[in-house]
Amino acid sequence: MNQAKRLVFKSIWYLSIVYFSYLMLLITVQYIPIDFEVAFLRVKEEAMSKMHYQLAFFSHVYTSIIVLLVGITQFSETIRKRYAFVHRNLGKLYVLLVLVIASPSGFIMALYANGGIYSKISFGLQAILWFYFTFAALRFARQRKWEQHQQFMIRSYALTLSAISLRLFKWIIANTLELPPMDTYRIVSWLGWIFNLVIAELYIYYFIRKNNRVFTKNKH
Amino acid sequence: MKNLFYLLFLTLFISNCKDAIKNSEAKIDIEKGTAIEAEDAVIEETSNMAQRQQQEQAEKLKAEEHLDLIGFWVGYFERDSEADILFVDEGYIWNRENKINIAIDQIDGSNVVGHSVVAGNDRPFEGEMISEEDGSYAFTVKEPGDDRYDGIFTFTIKDSELIGTWSAYKKIEIPRRKYTLEKKTFTYNPDVMLEGAKEYVDWTKKIQTKEKVEMAENEFDEWISTQFASATSLIYTMNASNRLLEKSEVENLQKGDLTIIRNTIYARHGYSYKNRPLRVFFDAQPWYIPVHSNIKGDFTEIEKENIKLLLKYEQNAAEYYDTFGRG
Repeated sequence: MNQAKRLVFKSIWYLSIVYFSYLMLLITVQYIPIDFEVAFLRVKEEAMSKMHYQLAFFSHVYTSIIVLLVGITQFSETIRKRYAFVHRNLGKLYVLLVLVIASPSGFIMALYANGGIYSKISFGLQAILWFYFTFAALRFARQRKWEQHQQFMIRSYALTLSAISLRLFKWIIANTLELPPMDTYRIVSWLGWIFNLVIAELYIYYFIRKNNRVFTKNKH
Repeated sequence: MKNLFYLLFLTLFISNCKDAIKNSEAKIDIEKGTAIEAEDAVIEETSNMAQRQQQEQAEKLKAEEHLDLIGFWVGYFERDSEADILFVDEGYIWNRENKINIAIDQIDGSNVVGHSVVAGNDRPFEGEMISEEDGSYAFTVKEPGDDRYDGIFTFTIKDSELIGTWSAYKKIEIPRRKYTLEKKTFTYNPDVMLEGAKEYVDWTKKIQTKEKVEMAENEFDEWISTQFASATSLIYTMNASNRLLEKSEVENLQKGDLTIIRNTIYARHGYSYKNRPLRVFFDAQPWYIPVHSNIKGDFTEIEKENIKLLLKYEQNAAEYYDTFGRG
């Protein structure tokens, strides 16, 4: 891949992520200050009557946006090499927020998900995998096994990005196929993260593994 | 170069306001005479109740005679002049007719008192009745005149059929109407279901898409397809008046269905619609009789709960269905 192509792809990637993160920020801002009946919560009355759901919902919403934003620059080689302390500390923040708050609260919310058992399983699975990938990535970093750390962080962030892809697919389906709202929701609750993980695995296989193989080959 | 980049970012930020995540201007239509607002309901209810009590008293005072003339006469208020018909699409036109209820409340000698309900208007009238030789009755009744759409009804009742014309005082779009009505009684029936009559098409909100179609080599025609909000066949199966609806049945409904199912509650109470697409839809239902222009105090407990539930999802659908926001 020559330099020009790489630059184009990188710019598209960063511009898209920043734009959609901005939209996610707008969505998050709707929930500040705490209001039990705004936006999404209007159709979650029974769940919101329970205190543990209230706690899970608001802690999830307030931390996930930080997790999303913090991860944007973590994949930049330039920043990692030149400002290693930024990579390390933002990384610690990412791991802390996901493992302690965002993933467990996501799991609790999954138990009350709209759309029946179908979506509940999907969101529950997402929360568990998110925890596992992030935890594995942390462990490999501690062991200084950087290749595996990179791979698992790609998987973890792929799941973080499912917040964006889920909404994007919903937008696409609503404006093209115009399926009924809950049917759409059940579809995107799976599509949102499976799609991301598939892309992540393909990316790992073709770009990460190949480069690392080349790297180790040259060493000898 | 860096500054240009930052400027680009800034404009990107500013240009994308909240509309990206929700339709912030989305409003759902709640007919004026149907809103359940706690405080309003009490005030409206009392004035409504007073009105109703007066009517009921008036009916009690009526003489034993002419019982066959007193009551609701229902049918179509058709245009009797050259006015444009509304052409929405092939298969959906509206001849500007509205269902009307001419209610004769009291006949005292040759004096007639009553009211008419049509297109969301509930207007009183008063006038004269003459008994003809052939057994028919000729009426001439006038509306007060302080409303834009007031006029004078001239009709004859013969052999259980009421035929007549109406003429407006002021210069309005359709100044003359004609009608042939039948006597009907209105009873509130929570079990009555919608029948397959006219379809629901909201022609006031449309989405137009243009498409260039190649008809012959290098010859293109521009086809414009128009889409209106409509309802699905689910509206014929769901009754929001005789049972509590579950969240699971309501959450997957599209906006058109939510609107119709909610408004059918009002139609069962004889609500007369100001909103035209809704009016045209319910007028076509054979059981529908416009009786009241204000039904705020009439809902049963089941209906109040269902209305609240349906409105929640309707509002959600309006604001969030086709945007990036989750909703």
